[in-house]
Amino acid sequence: MPQVKIIAKSFMDMVASLTAIKLDKLYNNVFICEAILRSLPPLAKKYVLQLLYIDIPVPATMMEEWVLADGVSKHRVAIDRLIQLRIFSETKDRKKQTCYSLNPTFQKNLQKHVISGGVLPREPMNANNANNAIKLPSLQELETYALQQWECFLLQLINSGQAEKLTGISSSMLKVFQRGLLSQRDRDGPRLTESGFQFLLMDTNAQLWYIIREYILNAEERDVDPADLISFLLELSFHVTGEAYNLNTLTDVQRNTLKDLADLGLVKLQQGRKDSWFIPTKLATNLSVSLADSSVRKEGYVMMETNFRMYAYSTSKLQCEILRLFSRIEYQLPNLIACAITKESLYNAFDNGITSDQIITFLQQNSHPRCASRVPSIPENVTDQIRLWESDLKRIEMTQAHFYDEFPSKDVFEAACDFAREWGGLLWEDSKRMRLVVKSEIHNQMREFLHTQSK
Amino acid sequence: MSERGRPNKKTKHDDQKMKKIQNEEALYSDDDTGDHDGIYFEGEGGAVEETDFSKLELKADHANRPLWACGGGRIFLETFSPLYKQASDFLIAIAEPVCRPESMHEYNLTPHSLYAAVSVGLETEAIISVLNKLSKTKLPEDMISFIYASTANYGKVKLVLKKNRYFIESPFPEVLKKLLQDGVINGARFSSEPYCGADGFTVGKTSGELEAGHGELLNEAESAAAAEEKETHSFEIDPAQVENVKQRCLSKDLNYPMLEEYDFRNDNVNPDLDMELKPHAQPRPYQEKSLSKMFGNGRARSGIIVLPCGAGKSLVGVSAAARIKKSCLCLATNAVSVDQWAFQFKLWSTIRDDQICRFTSDSKEAFRGNAVVVVTTYNMIAFGGKRSEESEKIIEEIRNREWGLLLMDEVHVVPANMFRKVISITKSHCKLGLTATLVREDEKITDLNFLIGPKLYEANWLDLVRGGFIANVQCAEVWCPMTKEFFAKYLQKDNSKKKQALYVMNPNKFRACEFLIRFHEEQRGDKIIVFADNLFALTEYAMKLRKPMFYGATSHVERTKILEAFKTSKNLNTIFLSKVGDNSIDIPEANVIIQISSHAGSRRQEAQRLGRILRAKGKLEDRMAGGKEEYNAFFYSLVSTDTQEMYYSTKRQQFLIDQGYSFKVITSLPPPDAGSSLSYSTQQEQLSLLTKVLNAGDDLVGLEQLEEDTDGMALQNDRRSKRSMSAMSGADGNVYKEYNSGRHKSSAQQSKKPKHPIFKTRFVS
Repeated sequence: MPQVKIIAKSFMDMVASLTAIKLDKLYNNVFICEAILRSLPPLAKKYVLQLLYIDIPVPATMMEEWVLADGVSKHRVAIDRLIQLRIFSETKDRKKQTCYSLNPTFQKNLQKHVISGGVLPREPMNANNANNAIKLPSLQELETYALQQWECFLLQLINSGQAEKLTGISSSMLKVFQRGLLSQRDRDGPRLTESGFQFLLMDTNAQLWYIIREYILNAEERDVDPADLISFLLELSFHVTGEAYNLNTLTDVQRNTLKDLADLGLVKLQQGRKDSWFIPTKLATNLSVSLADSSVRKEGYVMMETNFRMYAYSTSKLQCEILRLFSRIEYQLPNLIACAITKESLYNAFDNGITSDQIITFLQQNSHPRCASRVPSIPENVTDQIRLWESDLKRIEMTQAHFYDEFPSKDVFEAACDFAREWGGLLWEDSKRMRLVVKSEIHNQMREFLHTQSK
Repeated sequence: MSERGRPNKKTKHDDQKMKKIQNEEALYSDDDTGDHDGIYFEGEGGAVEETDFSKLELKADHANRPLWACGGGRIFLETFSPLYKQASDFLIAIAEPVCRPESMHEYNLTPHSLYAAVSVGLETEAIISVLNKLSKTKLPEDMISFIYASTANYGKVKLVLKKNRYFIESPFPEVLKKLLQDGVINGARFSSEPYCGADGFTVGKTSGELEAGHGELLNEAESAAAAEEKETHSFEIDPAQVENVKQRCLSKDLNYPMLEEYDFRNDNVNPDLDMELKPHAQPRPYQEKSLSKMFGNGRARSGIIVLPCGAGKSLVGVSAAARIKKSCLCLATNAVSVDQWAFQFKLWSTIRDDQICRFTSDSKEAFRGNAVVVVTTYNMIAFGGKRSEESEKIIEEIRNREWGLLLMDEVHVVPANMFRKVISITKSHCKLGLTATLVREDEKITDLNFLIGPKLYEANWLDLVRGGFIANVQCAEVWCPMTKEFFAKYLQKDNSKKKQALYVMNPNKFRACEFLIRFHEEQRGDKIIVFADNLFALTEYAMKLRKPMFYGATSHVERTKILEAFKTSKNLNTIFLSKVGDNSIDIPEANVIIQISSHAGSRRQEAQRLGRILRAKGKLEDRMAGGKEEYNAFFYSLVSTDTQEMYYSTKRQQFLIDQGYSFKVITSLPPPDAGSSLSYSTQQEQLSLLTKVLNAGDDLVGLEQLEEDTDGMALQNDRRSKRSMSAMSGADGNVYKEYNSGRHKSSAQQSKKPKHPIFKTRFVS
């Protein structure tokens, strides 16, 4: 599998990169503490719980004794992570030995949590409230809504013009998200970059992380404190899916944020006669789950045939757009897309920086259960051909070069050749007619050299 | 047919639809050098259209139904549906298969395919109701109206041959009147009819349809087609004009395609032929099915049956003849296959030797008796020049006879004008065309529809492979890079006439070929046919490798000798053939084909050549899916990279790819370690080969010009005769001894599930 270049691991990477002061401030929020604890690697989790009621620093050597020889690397990772997140602080005791102690705010909050149990950040609204006849959507409806919203956003993101309705995401915000995913070319308009393609191939949770990360990184430009934002997002993940929460419990900044999140499908906003409320969807409550846990395999939908025709069981416009990136769509049926992989469609894809490996991986990961069970899931002649077409394009390499001729003498020509060779820039020489081609990089040196020679 | 069939106001939309379909029809066959590839998927004007049918309404239980039907006539069929078998039987009857790989098949509804459907007894309402039953979506309105429009007129007019006279027959006198308003048809009518009804039509009686059954799906539809006796009206036409009239009826203005049926059981005029199938002749299920299409209503229908090579077309032909039991004229493409057909008749049926006679330039067996089987070639019949007295007599006899069955082999290769001639000369009640590849590169494929009749049945290649009825072939395209020197010459303008010779004689290709021959002879003990269209290359290769070869000019006797040696001798495992070997020469022993040069972008040639090795070999259980041998036949196409060949190669494979075959690309042949054990390993040798190619005359390096039937007597004298060639190349039998085999046969069998080493995965993924 090719390396996915976009790092969209988790919130916690982002939390870890916050400044010390901001981190300490974050730990004032009990939900953050819980979310962080959840996100830790198993061994780190264990250490935190083990030290939860210990108020003195624990020597590093002692902790090292807890692990077996083959667990040392895991131990290292766990300790590093804890220090990174400032959950552990490193101190030296009198014997100059390294000791670790828990962050006191973090420790206090967790102790509280252990005693009083989980408390919801805010109470859900009473559905039978006389003022607000709240008609909650079913979980199924809510999920459909969330995915629709998300797909709509993605379609808008890749600029396909296929989105049926536009989300309320501001165009400036959209530009931020598109950074790195789309390349702006003068003539052709925006096109998907290599990472853009990879982005589309990721599963929904991973995509969500990527977008949320961009959203947080951009927070300061919108005069929002990233720490506040992170804290709010994590808090959101502790709400119950499908319950309604009153908007008046939120700050102005949070309310604004919520509008954006509604556009992404993380929450659904509803308005009653008097109050307004939001309903978190699964997308929101999954936010604090680390990426590794959430990547549940979705069922594949693509059948690749030996005659290069591809049938995708899908009703999704987005999936259709993804297929369009490297194939020719021929028929769109109510629940099937019939397309063909052709040399032209692939050249188009290669031209956009999509690689054959990415396409093949995509086909493999999304292959229909009927095909996924056979080996190989994608017909060999198709994968071979995709690679061959790609390697065909790579047969010619372009190098910027300069051409020299009309040398005054054989000696000067020879010397020039030697000079170019020394600089590693000689591309071609024709000693009979005294002509040579050198790389552009050494053109200046070459000119100077010839100048000195002619004197 | 209902009133809906002829809407009062034909909408513009329908017209466009029709036009589109017809355009697609026109594109059905491509020419040799044409630039349109992927012709199946092109819409009007050649631009690729994306068609959005996502608004079609899905039925609630769509998951249980096997197909999608969209406007424009395209139909998609899931092969893994429980209803697949019934659905594919139905679709093959009403639609043209576009491609049939493993999971999803595509079909196209065309006027011709619907014509075929009607002619095998399906009625408009039945077609629509079954299609609707099978479809996941509601049938689009335009498809329904298209079916109505295309079938409204079908089946109303029949062409009947009675007592050596042609009649146009219909239960509807108004239809006949309409036909007679047409100048061509009126002109063809014999006005001097003795007994006339009120309209001048002869009135007679004929029995109605009794359908044999199309599976449970059609039950309700069939009950509608209950038998009842109908009054028919008819008029006689000039036999010479039959074909014009047929074409005229098929045209857009009239659109009353004529059905041809032969009520052979009630034919008391023509004498019966005493022949039965022998008990051991057990038709396979698909052969049975194709016959049932032909004899569905107790009469014999004219039409074409499409079966892959090696799937037993001849048994279908013989069975048809045995069922009709009247005189049968069997036409083949050349003398070798005339012998093979005569043999097949004797093999499968109880026909007596004196009831069958061969009529070729070498063997003119006069026929005795009232009812006979005559096997001859198209050329013998269509020949326009002066004949010997002996053959003139036989031809006269053929011309005067009323044939029960005209059995035509390899209908895809015969030029349309030759067909016309043959059909106008011979009077037959029923015509059965057999072919493996209903593609022609010369746009003439639609001609067959009115010259012979609709396509009655077309088998699915992959299904036959899975059933073990034909060999499971591994197809491979071997990429041979041009050597530097050859490529330089190839690019020079003044060598344009030698381009082909240059890429065929590419030393790397030669080495790949030599390697493959050696590998298959020695490692697997296979029998190999090497095909080369280019005569220069054919002789060079054959001589260098010391293998026998034959081409157009090789005499019948010598051909038979070489083939016999190839079949029986353990020392002769490879033969070189020019394109004379493409069709109908039956070489069941061969299981490897190496193609070193070919006729440009001909999809048919590719399929026909593959057909040479499709005849299933070995035990049935080994061949079935999951059997002992994954592949038991190999088809290699050697192409020189960066030359025209690459382009042609892609085009050529299209037909087979649509049948579900896949070509594996091999880029590393011969393996580097084969080195100097192969020919042309040094630059010296390669350069001298290059000189040889360049010095050869332009006429020598070109394609072999070949008449379809090389046995035609007129051709004998015109041929370049190079009798010595086969002797030099070892056909006389002594020189190829060093490639002794025999012992490797056992070693090949020892290895379980042999996987060809050169097919190992090239990319580690």
